[in-house]
Amino acid sequence: MSNVIKSEPFIVNIGPQHPSTHGVFRVKATVDGEKVIDAEMVMGYLHRSMEKLAEERTYTQNIPFTDRTDYLSSMSNNLGYVLAVEKLAGIEVPARGQAIRVIMAELQRLASHCMAVGTFVNDAGAWQTPVMWAFREREKIIDIFEMTSGARLTCNYMRIGGVAFDLRPGFTELVEKVLREFPPFLDEMEGMLVGNEIFIARTRGVGVLSPELATNASLSGPMLRGSGIAWDIRKADPYCGYEQYDFEIPIGYQGDAFDRFIVRLAEMRESLKIVRQALDGLPGGPHSTQVPLALRPPKGEAYARVESSKGELGYYVVSDEGPSPYRFHIRPPSFINLSALKEMTVGGTIADAIVSLGSIDIVIGEVDR
Amino acid sequence: MTRWLSGQEVADWAESLVPGSVARVDPGCCVLKPEALVETMRALRTSPQSDLVYLTNLCGVDWWDHFEVVYHLQSFDLNHIATIKCEAWDHDKPSLPSLVPVFHGAWMQESEAYDLLGIRFDGHPNLQRIFLWEGYPGHPLRKDFVSMPGGLQPGLGEFAGINPRPEPPTKVVG
Repeated sequence: MSNVIKSEPFIVNIGPQHPSTHGVFRVKATVDGEKVIDAEMVMGYLHRSMEKLAEERTYTQNIPFTDRTDYLSSMSNNLGYVLAVEKLAGIEVPARGQAIRVIMAELQRLASHCMAVGTFVNDAGAWQTPVMWAFREREKIIDIFEMTSGARLTCNYMRIGGVAFDLRPGFTELVEKVLREFPPFLDEMEGMLVGNEIFIARTRGVGVLSPELATNASLSGPMLRGSGIAWDIRKADPYCGYEQYDFEIPIGYQGDAFDRFIVRLAEMRESLKIVRQALDGLPGGPHSTQVPLALRPPKGEAYARVESSKGELGYYVVSDEGPSPYRFHIRPPSFINLSALKEMTVGGTIADAIVSLGSIDIVIGEVDR
Repeated sequence: MTRWLSGQEVADWAESLVPGSVARVDPGCCVLKPEALVETMRALRTSPQSDLVYLTNLCGVDWWDHFEVVYHLQSFDLNHIATIKCEAWDHDKPSLPSLVPVFHGAWMQESEAYDLLGIRFDGHPNLQRIFLWEGYPGHPLRKDFVSMPGGLQPGLGEFAGINPRPEPPTKVVG
């Protein structure tokens, strides 16, 4: 008589409403015992058809839509879209406008990575303390955005040709405060987690992606760099004068969830370096150029991309000389980073699937659009 | 700085790797024939000269009489990016070969193009609607999809000058 217990595959629904899915997103995991043997994604719960809506609005009216794709990094999303339109229409941005854009995009990366790191550690089981520490730091950056643009999350700050307003008095002091208080926070996070045996046991070797798979599956951002490919749009295809700033591209070596976490922490330090340099060398002059409100770019198409906190964020805009884009397409990093979810989760346990999903850092507003 | 390849450069590579694969050359892009698409893409990916290993972006565009699928392909080592297009001329039943055998990253993006534009990708392992539900009437990103179920009009047409707002009735004083 055999004493092996037979198990049958059955389906476990993770989501749509589950804290680990970071929004309304569902994974239909087929499990055999504790092992995941298949994972199917179900999405679209937050689909708002932004690409269709954008075809009916003018170029400037579309900027608020881009806030609402990745609502945790609206500045980067604004930036990607206005870069695409500027490329299409051939508009130059003054130096001050570019420097302000860089400061905002990097502050946004800090805020978004705070969220990513905090919730990821939460998913891995370190209940609440790291996420609260991360939120404490994020709050200071959100306050800067509120002071500059009037909104905390959906900033709607970038404009075609520059930014909406010049910096307010007192802005520099607040950014200085962030620059001063952020490194101790990062030291604290690293001290608590990087050498932590439980955290390492939970994340090392989980959701491993080879560099070949990461490239072939079009992953980008910390997902790609965690697998050891030093690819960063800010270095490879500089926009807004990123070539003037001195920073490194942190990479991981094993391509697992832990490496992605480390890459995000290291990227925050690099972002602080960029903000420091941009703030010190902030040029004077106008913050924006005059652009007609009813902009009609010449016939053509443009694809512009930025390195948002999630990865490569691209906007493909086609113009037919009308006041609104003929076609408006977003290349969302969160959505495409999910391509490899099945490869990351199959073979592991349910608990590891949660860690893998958390390490992608998805934002459902951007996945579903 | 990433170099944007001209259509002619990409067309020369494609023509030398797979003869007869190029349908048309535009200044900014190279239009491939659908029947040679997968083979040419695979050759462009593996050839050390082109090294287009990374499918950056894939999206469809409705041009009223035909559909166009735009591929942006990136090389990491040589740091150049190519725009490649492929056209489906049957507007009622557009279909193109799927790139999933070459680029795993095409999976989700092709599902999206199928869902929102209705372009079928032959050879896709699991082509089904990704955002909308099965049975949704029509494909919303098509240009002839002008009214939503229930008679709702998409967009604020009066701002774009497409659908001017009717004049308010003038008040007669007295």
